[in-house]
Amino acid sequence: MSRSSIDQGSADMTATNKTVLRLDRICLQFSDKKVLKGVDLEVKEGEVVVLIGASGSGKTSMLRCINLLNTPTSGSIVIDDEVIFHAEAMGHGRSSIAAAEVNRIRAKTGMVFQQFNLFPHMTALGNVMEGPVTVKGEPKDKVRTEALRLLDLMGLSQHVEKYPRQLSGGQQQRVAIARAMAMQPKVMLFDEPTSALDPELVGEVMKAMVELAKSGMTMVIVTHELGFAFEIADRVVFLDEGLIAEQGAPNDVLLHPTHPRLKSFVGRFHESADLLRPFLEAREAQRG
Amino acid sequence: MFDYTVITSNAGLLWQGLLVTAYFTVLSIGAGLIIGMFMGLIQLSPYRPLTWIGRIYVEFFRNIPLLVTLLWVYYAFPIFAGINITKYWAGFIALSCYTGSFYAEILRGGVLSVDPGQTDAATAIGMSYGQRMRRVILPQAFRKMIPPLAGQSIIQMKNTTLLSMITVPDLLYQASYISSFTYKPMEIYTAVGAIFLIILVPLTLLSRKLEKSGAGAR
Repeated sequence: MSRSSIDQGSADMTATNKTVLRLDRICLQFSDKKVLKGVDLEVKEGEVVVLIGASGSGKTSMLRCINLLNTPTSGSIVIDDEVIFHAEAMGHGRSSIAAAEVNRIRAKTGMVFQQFNLFPHMTALGNVMEGPVTVKGEPKDKVRTEALRLLDLMGLSQHVEKYPRQLSGGQQQRVAIARAMAMQPKVMLFDEPTSALDPELVGEVMKAMVELAKSGMTMVIVTHELGFAFEIADRVVFLDEGLIAEQGAPNDVLLHPTHPRLKSFVGRFHESADLLRPFLEAREAQRG
Repeated sequence: MFDYTVITSNAGLLWQGLLVTAYFTVLSIGAGLIIGMFMGLIQLSPYRPLTWIGRIYVEFFRNIPLLVTLLWVYYAFPIFAGINITKYWAGFIALSCYTGSFYAEILRGGVLSVDPGQTDAATAIGMSYGQRMRRVILPQAFRKMIPPLAGQSIIQMKNTTLLSMITVPDLLYQASYISSFTYKPMEIYTAVGAIFLIILVPLTLLSRKLEKSGAGAR
């Protein structure tokens, strides 16, 4: 137990002062429903940010805005010092960024989906190689070596030639992580990566993500697993009705919430996790 | 009495007719696939004017009876355009445009049936629209499209019999010609029906088999 918290400490230290991702006053509206109402977020290099909130609070929409899978109504997004999106409110001053530029900057983010979304007509290896070969036009033999390394890192060296339908959910999700990593992203986005998994497969995916965090990868994670959030996050962000209601260190947000909505939200978690309380408090004391 | 000798003694003419039917079937399927591919894809493009062109094309040819299109292309179109057109070209153009509109719908449906998560995943690794289509969406869509494409192609072979209306010497035209001098329509038209059955029943069974293996491949 103490060993894992030492590791946790080293993960914290990988965060530097360079900003990798910045969202400015992001608003998102679907027909007449306002999903995001002006969200700001800044993520430093090596930082692990976990987004929590009730269903419909805008977590997934916010994550999908970062790489423009959802196009915000207004606001601006900067990834690795490059503007990928900018539009003033009320539709004024919308600067159009060429589609090719958007694709190039977007490839600086890697995304992992709830439903894995592996390409079913390609093997695990084919899935991982697809991005670098097709998008970056890199030579296949070089990409293959790197893809095999990533799959090995995800504990999948036995399964490289298998098709997605031959793999378990946990294995598929780890292939998906390797596929995203193959583009050498500056920031990895995870959209409820364990929600579609059988309970016994959740652990292997979480473990892979913790390893990734330790290696210094910048990550933004949407999850309902608050215990996992506590374990992996440098910062927890609580979204409520399209706005950031509270954010801070996992200790503060998850154990000492101040916002009433957040209190009731983590309350349910605490009730179910009461058995873990001594463990959590011990860690809190150690960090204190 | 059923007189087989009428069929055997005119087998040469029937064979010639069958060749013409097969020739138009294959050519119009080929051209129809190209037209359908183009018209289907532009309907899926993000550019509104293009999607409208595709939509109008499909609705135009789908909602005019093939026989009307055929007669129009042969008799009316040359007058409008002030050109001469052979009956073979007229038949080829009408058949291809007509079946192209159905192929376009099959292609559009096939692409739309691919899980939107696939587009998300392809987009997220930085793929452009063309790369997404070529590498991710179309390979999956084609698998689902094989059964309806096979079905439409079988219908297309039957549609070629309309060519006889503009005196293209296809199988049906030869049959009516033979019966005009033998006065044995019963034997001749029975033979024509049998020829279609012999060719198309195995193809139908094959397409059904493809359908099953296609479902298994998912």
